[in-house]
Amino acid sequence: MGLDAQHRQLVSAPSARRAAFSAGQRAILPSLPGTAAWGLISGVAMVKGGLAVPWAMMMSLLVYGASAQLAALPLIAVGAPLWVIVATGFITNLRFVIYSAALRPHFANERLKVRAALGFFMTDFTFTLFMRRAQEGTLPAAHRDAWFAGVCSNNWLTWQTCALTGIVAASYVPTQWGLEFTGTLALAALVGPSLTARPALVGAVIGAVVAMLAHGLPYKLGLFCGAIAGIIAATVTDSVAAREPDAGAPA
Amino acid sequence: MTGPVTGIALGVVIVGLALTTLVTRTSFLVAGSRLRLGARIEVALRYAPVCTLAAIIVPDVFMHGPGYDFSPFNPRLIGVLAAGAWLCFSRNIVGCLACGMLAFTLARLYL
Repeated sequence: MGLDAQHRQLVSAPSARRAAFSAGQRAILPSLPGTAAWGLISGVAMVKGGLAVPWAMMMSLLVYGASAQLAALPLIAVGAPLWVIVATGFITNLRFVIYSAALRPHFANERLKVRAALGFFMTDFTFTLFMRRAQEGTLPAAHRDAWFAGVCSNNWLTWQTCALTGIVAASYVPTQWGLEFTGTLALAALVGPSLTARPALVGAVIGAVVAMLAHGLPYKLGLFCGAIAGIIAATVTDSVAAREPDAGAPA
Repeated sequence: MTGPVTGIALGVVIVGLALTTLVTRTSFLVAGSRLRLGARIEVALRYAPVCTLAAIIVPDVFMHGPGYDFSPFNPRLIGVLAAGAWLCFSRNIVGCLACGMLAFTLARLYL
């Protein structure tokens, strides 16, 4: 056993872990209203997008990823092949691979089970909070895993409560209101802020145009053509921008 | 197209989507240093969600019914533009969705 581990065992009284956990629960409070609204809307959008209530609940509890869920909805509605739906969810979730890589150094000493659990319960909001604290240097010195577990648990509880509420409430909302459109708007709100980077903007435009042109392809393959074309365009734009460091300078 | 995905097939889809959440979020945390990201791959991963979501959102706006609808009176177009305009001034997501839905609903009812 290394010195560090010995030291940690000596000072890690359960009360210190509990204190770190509740500090984490408090740290996420400011972003909970946004999470609540986003959860409520995803719940309503899932049912209005055609899922039966029990399936919508199962999806919310198991998938726990709004963008993948909302992206899958229109594909489920038109009866796209299963692999296309799952692959779309996978691409939508690819950003988490980067998040996971960024978190790794902070949790390198934790047990495998702890790392897997912290990873599964991480979301856009909790990851952003963690990295901001890391940059500011305001992460707790010890029991970071307990702190982050506190952050993620409050976020999970809020999200699931509101999503399940939305799923139940959706049955009382007339379909003519077109509330499933909130799902599309929520995805747009997620994408919008990242469009300020030029490669992202180029990729999004190319992806959208190709997806529309290829819309007639069977099995919703137009979506894939769009996504792949967009990713290539964004990568190329990014490497061109990297080669011209003065590109952003005023003329 | 055929009807919506239902029953056992839907269950398979949900479990599959849950696996994509698990695999992507735990990837590096579980694999540790055995996994490495090349610079090119990292760039592609960074832009993949934006490109995919754009390829979902934009056709949903312009091709919701049968055929294209590029009319400026398309309620979905008006809703997305209103939500986007809100985002230029505020990062408040609740306000953005409310603004977009309000514009969409007004356009749907009165245009």
